[in-house]
Amino acid sequence: MEYNKEKREIILDKELNNLDIFALKFLNIISRYTDYVVIAGYVSILLGRTRTTEDIDVFIKIISKKIFFEMYQDLENNGFWCLNTDNMERAFDYLETRHAIRFAKDGYSIPNFEVKFPKDKLDEDAFEDSINVILPKGNIIISCLERNIAFKRYFLKSDKDNEDASHLEELFHDKLDYGKINKIRELIILRGL
Amino acid sequence: MVNQRIFLTPGKNNKEERLNFVKYWAEYIKTHSDKDWSEQQKILVNSLIGDDNV
Repeated sequence: MEYNKEKREIILDKELNNLDIFALKFLNIISRYTDYVVIAGYVSILLGRTRTTEDIDVFIKIISKKIFFEMYQDLENNGFWCLNTDNMERAFDYLETRHAIRFAKDGYSIPNFEVKFPKDKLDEDAFEDSINVILPKGNIIISCLERNIAFKRYFLKSDKDNEDASHLEELFHDKLDYGKINKIRELIILRGL
Repeated sequence: MVNQRIFLTPGKNNKEERLNFVKYWAEYIKTHSDKDWSEQQKILVNSLIGDDNV
């Protein structure tokens, strides 16, 4: 695993597991319509954590209803279904009102993608310093390591989340910007007030 | 890639044991090839997420 901090790029020559393949298929489709950034638990799993998850969280940049309908149709045509509704209008309404919507493969509920629009500046910032993870069969855009660590440590806070943060810290400790982690921590605290 | 043997420090309780394993595994990743550790991760992930639902 090679992390080039300046290029914001990780080269990962990993043996892809089924969760990685699921992620690549889904993200390949939505990237035709909007920018995305994967956040939370799957970031740690992609980078080696010894656990799995039933859902992968992703922010997508806000798009028009027309573009969303095209993306939704493309997902359906490629064997995905929306767990929340079979009505595209309603699905878009959920997103616009800052609810998450989930997609899984037809006939299954897990694993699934939890898709959401950013709800404030802190969420939007995840797009600005994202990292491109280059895999043998595609690439995945993730939010930056410092952001993941800060949200795991100071917002989510469960044992599992702290372990995810520790995994990233142990793996990349000499390349992390601890000042940035503290700054994001302060913004998380301010948002909670 | 070194492929050196890594040793795990036992924890005094479940929480510490789990955290020590996280540290152990991160060190394993750093000292082994991507193919090595990811093949092990693949066995774990694919045991819970089958081929059909992806």
